[in-house]
Amino acid sequence: MYASQKIRSFLFYLSVFLFFIGLPFILSFALGYKFNIRTLKFVKTGLIFIKTQPAGAKIYLNDKLIPEKSPASMQELLPGAYKVTLELAQHYSWQAQVEVEAGKVSRIDKVILFPVRPNLQQLNQEEFSSFRIDTEKRLVYYLDQEKKVLYRSDLEARNFEDIASLPDKFTQVNGWDVSVDQKKVFIFNQHQISVIFFDTQADNEYAASTVFLDHPREKIINVFWHSDSYHLVVLTDKHVQVIESRQGALPVNLVGLNKKSSTAFYDTKEDTLYFSDNQRSPSGSFYNNLYKLELSANLYVLEKLNNQPFGQVQPLEKEERE
Amino acid sequence: MNKALILKRIFEIIPGGLSWSIIVSLILLSFLHPVSSAIIIISFDFYWIIRTVYLTTLLVMAHQRLFQQKNEDWLARCLKLTANSGFSKLYQIVIFPVYNEGLEVLRPSLLALSGSHYPQEKLIVVMAFEERNIHAHDHALILEEEFSGRFGAYLSTFHPDGLPGESRTKGANATWGAKAVRKFLDTQGIAYEQAVISCFDADTCVDKEYFGCLGYHFLTSPKRHQASYQPMPVYNNNIWQAPFFARLVEISSSFCQMIESMRLEKFVTFSSHSMSFKTLVQIDYWPTNMISDDSVIYWKGYLHYNGDYRVVPLYVTVSLDVAYSSNIWRTMVVQYKQKRRWAWGVENFPFVVNGFIKNKKISLLNKLRRSFHLLESHVTWAVWAVILVVIGPLPIFFGGAFFSQTAIAYNLPKITGLLFKFTLLTSLTWIFLSWTILPPRPKGISWFKHVLLILEWIFVPFIILVIGSAPAIDAQTRLMFAKYMEFNPTLKGNKVL
Repeated sequence: MYASQKIRSFLFYLSVFLFFIGLPFILSFALGYKFNIRTLKFVKTGLIFIKTQPAGAKIYLNDKLIPEKSPASMQELLPGAYKVTLELAQHYSWQAQVEVEAGKVSRIDKVILFPVRPNLQQLNQEEFSSFRIDTEKRLVYYLDQEKKVLYRSDLEARNFEDIASLPDKFTQVNGWDVSVDQKKVFIFNQHQISVIFFDTQADNEYAASTVFLDHPREKIINVFWHSDSYHLVVLTDKHVQVIESRQGALPVNLVGLNKKSSTAFYDTKEDTLYFSDNQRSPSGSFYNNLYKLELSANLYVLEKLNNQPFGQVQPLEKEERE
Repeated sequence: MNKALILKRIFEIIPGGLSWSIIVSLILLSFLHPVSSAIIIISFDFYWIIRTVYLTTLLVMAHQRLFQQKNEDWLARCLKLTANSGFSKLYQIVIFPVYNEGLEVLRPSLLALSGSHYPQEKLIVVMAFEERNIHAHDHALILEEEFSGRFGAYLSTFHPDGLPGESRTKGANATWGAKAVRKFLDTQGIAYEQAVISCFDADTCVDKEYFGCLGYHFLTSPKRHQASYQPMPVYNNNIWQAPFFARLVEISSSFCQMIESMRLEKFVTFSSHSMSFKTLVQIDYWPTNMISDDSVIYWKGYLHYNGDYRVVPLYVTVSLDVAYSSNIWRTMVVQYKQKRRWAWGVENFPFVVNGFIKNKKISLLNKLRRSFHLLESHVTWAVWAVILVVIGPLPIFFGGAFFSQTAIAYNLPKITGLLFKFTLLTSLTWIFLSWTILPPRPKGISWFKHVLLILEWIFVPFIILVIGSAPAIDAQTRLMFAKYMEFNPTLKGNKVL
C-alpha cells in the first residue's frame, strides 16, 4: 500500500507539473503567441486559414511551398502582408495578397479552383430552338421550331423522347413553358396561345386535341402556368389575365395595364405574379410601379372546377352558381 | 435564528452557490468577454485531460490490485496470524437495512453470505426491517426459517416509524439494528472490540472471500478501531440485463470508487462498508436524520478521533444491482434520482465544517485540506460536464464577429478537439477494464452484447451531462434552499432496493 501511495504521489505531482508547464504553451499557442528563442520573448502572431474547393491544393506562402495542402492553417505568422498562391493540377491557380494581423485569423475559405478544362458536356442530340430545365425532375425540354417538335431528355443526356408535336398553323413561337404537372406545354405568339398535351400521356382523360386560345385584340407579352397546371396567367399589353387551358375558355381580366410592355415574374410556389406598370404622376410624367398579385385565393372557385377531370369540365349551371 | 443554525445554512449554501456562480459567470463571460472565456475553457480542458489521465492510471493500479488479490485465500492468511491477533475471538456482524425490498432481493444477498469462505458460526446476521413495511414480519419469518441455522446468530429487527429526532433514512434503521446487536453482544458476553460490523445495502452480494479479507485487514491494521473498511462495489448482479444507459453509469460509478481507493487521503466510505463495532458504539452509530449515512459515519469517526481516522480499501468486491426500469426514459429517471441521492452527500460539507469548528484538536491545515477536498469534489461533480459539454462551445456561437476573427476563436475548437482525442486513449482503457470486471455472460444473452458493450461508450458525453452534472446541481440547489431530501430507495429492475 505504501509503495502504491508513493507512485500515486509521484503521479500527482507529475500531473501538477505537466499542467503548469504545459498550460502556458497551450494558451500562448491558442492566443497566437510565438516564443522567439533569440530574443527570449513572446511575439504575438496571426494565422491564415485556407480552405479550397476542391481540397488538396498546394499552398505557396510568399512563393515558398508549405508542406500542408488545403484545407490548412498557417500558424505563428508575424503580422504583415503575405502572398498566397494556391495550385492544383488541371485547375486555374489562385493568388492573393493576404494581410495577417497579430492575434487574428485571416480566413481564405471561399476559394473555388476552377478546372482548366471545364466539365463541358453536350446534352442535345438534335437541333433545337430553345430549352427549359427542370432541376427538380432533372429533365431538359427542347423545342425545335423548324421540325415543330418538343422533346426531352434527362440531365445526363439520356433517355431522349419526343413528347409533343407543335400545331402546323403556329408558325412563330414567342415563348413556351411546361406545366408543373409535366403533362402539357403552352406556346404562344402575339395573339394566340396553344396548349399541347404530351404524347406520353396514357391517360385517356386528356384531350388529344390541342387547345387554341385566341387573343385577337391584345398583344400577348408573357404567359405563365398557374401551379394547378390548368390555368394560365397571361400578361398582355392591356391586361393581366387568367384563362383556363380548355377549348373555348374566355380570359378573365384581373388588372388593366397602362404600360404596353410590362415585365413580369411568376412565383409558381406561391402563385403570385409580380409585374411592372406605369402610373401617371399629378405633374403628368410617368413612373414605374412594381405590383404583386396573389392568385391562389382568388382562383379558389376555378380551382374547384379544376378538380374535375380534364376534358369533362362543364360550365356551372345557373342554380349552382347562385 | 441562533448562530449555529446560521452557520449551518451558510455552509449549506456554499457548494451550490459556488457551482452556480461558476456556471453562470462562465456563461456570461462567453457573451461579454469571449476571449477570457475561451482561455478559461482551454485551461479547464487541459486540466481535465491531465486529471483524466492521472485518474485512469490510478484506476489501472486499483484494477491490477483487485485482480492480484482476486484469488487470495484470505481465511488461510487469517489462520496464519499469531494467536494473539484475536482472530479466533473475532465476530463479524452483518446488518442489512431493509426498506421494502422483496424476498427476491434479500434471498440472494443472504445466500451469498452463507456461501462465504469464512466460519459461519462467527457471523452474526441482522435483517433490519422497517416496521412501517407491511410485509416486514412475513418476510422476516420466511427468511428466519431459511437462514437462521446457517450463521452464528440471525436476528430480525423492526425499526419503529417516527422516533423523535429521526428521519426516514437508512441510517436510522441501521442504527436501530446495531443497537439490537449491542444488546445481543452484551448477553453473549462478546466484547465490542472483538466485533466488526458491515452495513450492507439490501442487494449486496459479497464475494466469498470478503469476510476473510476484512478480518485480515482489521486484525493487521494499526489502530484498527480508527478505520473503516471499504470493499469495491461493482454493480454486477444484473448488469447483462440492464439497459446500456444504466450499465454505463454504474460501471463508471464502480470505477470512480476504485479510483478513490487509491487516494487514501480523500477516501471516504461509500455504500456497503465495514468498521469496528466498538467504534460504531463510541461515535453513537450512524446518523439517524441524514441520507448519506454511509459517508457521514466516516466523518463522525474522523471527528471523534480528531482526524486520526481513515478508510482502508479492501480489494475484494461486493456486487450490487444496477438500478433500472422498464424503459429507457424510466431508467433515466431512476438513475437520475439515485445519483441525486448520492450527490446529496453534499450535506456532509456543512456537517463536517461545523464539526471542524467545534473540534479544536484537528490541525487547521487538515481541516482546510479536508474541507477543500470535500467542497471541490462536489463542486467539480456539478460543473465539469456542464463546462465541457455546454459552456465549451458557447464563445464560438456567441462570441460575435470580432471574436471569430481572433486566433483563439480559431484555435479553441482545434485544441479542445485535439485534447479530447487524447482522452479517447483513456476511454479505451476504461472500456477494456469494464470488460474485465463483467461477470460471465448468462445463457440466452447473445455474444453480440459484447460488441454493444463497447459501442455504448459513445453515449458517455450525453450521460455525463444528464447523470453526471444535473443530479449534483439539483442536490446542491435543494440544499441551498433548504429543500431537504428524504430517503427514497432506488428502483432496480423489477425490484425496489
